[in-house]
Amino acid sequence: MDYTKQIQDIAGRLFSEGKIDIFIGYRNTGFDENQVPVLIHQYKDVDQLLFTDKSVFNLANYLKYEHTRNKRVGLIVKGCDSRALNLMLTESQVKRENLYIIGIACEGVVNETGEKAQNCVECMMPDAVVYDELLGSATGKREYQVNADIRELDEKTLTDRVEYFEEIFENCIRCNACRHSCPLCYCAKCCIDQETATLFHGANTTSSAFHALMTWSLHLAGRCVDCRNCEKACPIHLPLHLLHKLNEKVIYENFQENLAGMTEGDRGAFYKYSLSDPDDFIL
Amino acid sequence: MEAEIKEKIVSMEKPHMEAPPDWQPVIMGILCNWCSYAGSDLTGTSRIQYPPNIRIIRVPCSSRVDPWFIIKSLQTIADGVLISGCHPGDCHYISGNYYARRRFLVTKKLLNFVGFHENRVQFSWVSAAEGAKFAKVVTKVTEDIRKLGPLHLYKKENS
Repeated sequence: MDYTKQIQDIAGRLFSEGKIDIFIGYRNTGFDENQVPVLIHQYKDVDQLLFTDKSVFNLANYLKYEHTRNKRVGLIVKGCDSRALNLMLTESQVKRENLYIIGIACEGVVNETGEKAQNCVECMMPDAVVYDELLGSATGKREYQVNADIRELDEKTLTDRVEYFEEIFENCIRCNACRHSCPLCYCAKCCIDQETATLFHGANTTSSAFHALMTWSLHLAGRCVDCRNCEKACPIHLPLHLLHKLNEKVIYENFQENLAGMTEGDRGAFYKYSLSDPDDFIL
Repeated sequence: MEAEIKEKIVSMEKPHMEAPPDWQPVIMGILCNWCSYAGSDLTGTSRIQYPPNIRIIRVPCSSRVDPWFIIKSLQTIADGVLISGCHPGDCHYISGNYYARRRFLVTKKLLNFVGFHENRVQFSWVSAAEGAKFAKVVTKVTEDIRKLGPLHLYKKENS
């Protein structure tokens, strides 16, 4: 998967026709093999752009900040990113007419060790669903499969799971990088900030991490697109996908809903209901 | 003189932690204004006995309950949470409890996944005419939580 040439051509064309003010893409870090997102403002910088299987980040995230608001933006989206973008469009966070979207029919990106990333192996919709131009050939929807880590944890006893998750919440340093890297966490004021640092009891405690991560994952339940930007941003590599994947599993098994953001106007599982939803857990 | 031998109560999630001998469970009850709150009122005016362990908060509708409320309750004083709303079809706002039902299931499963016993968070439908049912529900939830013991997971340090 290497679309470097095509993306440079398209970005160059858009700048020379004056269709966009900013192009969001990927470039090399300059000191290793990895790539970082880059915002390009002029035609002469277009040759920095890249797209290979190391282009892991979700660029839709950069649309929620002030410097791209009300500007004409061109960007690259993979399958998962395009669904996040679709949700942002549905929730009125960006305007479609301001965007020029290059969709990718994604073949999966790599993780830190160079293998195909777990979310790409389990990906249900690798093709971009909203685009002006599609690169690559679309392969269509795939079957839902339960995440391997979730299956493993479900077999453990309750006390084992308590120990496992206590370690995770204890290691969290409350840097909020997960929240800032999530394209769907765009609230200007976030409710989890009330557990923030004070003089007498710091923010960096197990209980405040529990409060923040659980609230965050439940507010994203039914909307998470499994791009794993949060996990890539986490400085201590916490397995944050566990919380999202469990929500996804429960929602799929009970409400037969998955793949939020497939069409514009679809707001996810928590914005609709069915009269036949399971009722047996209620007294 | 025969001394009564009391069974020691330990925390379900952390079996090495014992409850103090005079421990009483605290249950946070979040009730919908239109059905369950009126139902609990009827329980009182009908003079039906129920355990005094429940602390009631009134909300406009069961769909007003953000999962955040449950997390905050469990982190402060509560050992368990009971959320109650109108029966399906009876919602004052037509469909609020249907949306709430989906959210409750996911919240319950996620809390169970990270280590809370599934009986820590319970839900019920109680209508304004079901005073006796409210007393029954509170009794059941209190007994469930009493069996599970005090909650020691992720409590706020200064609470």
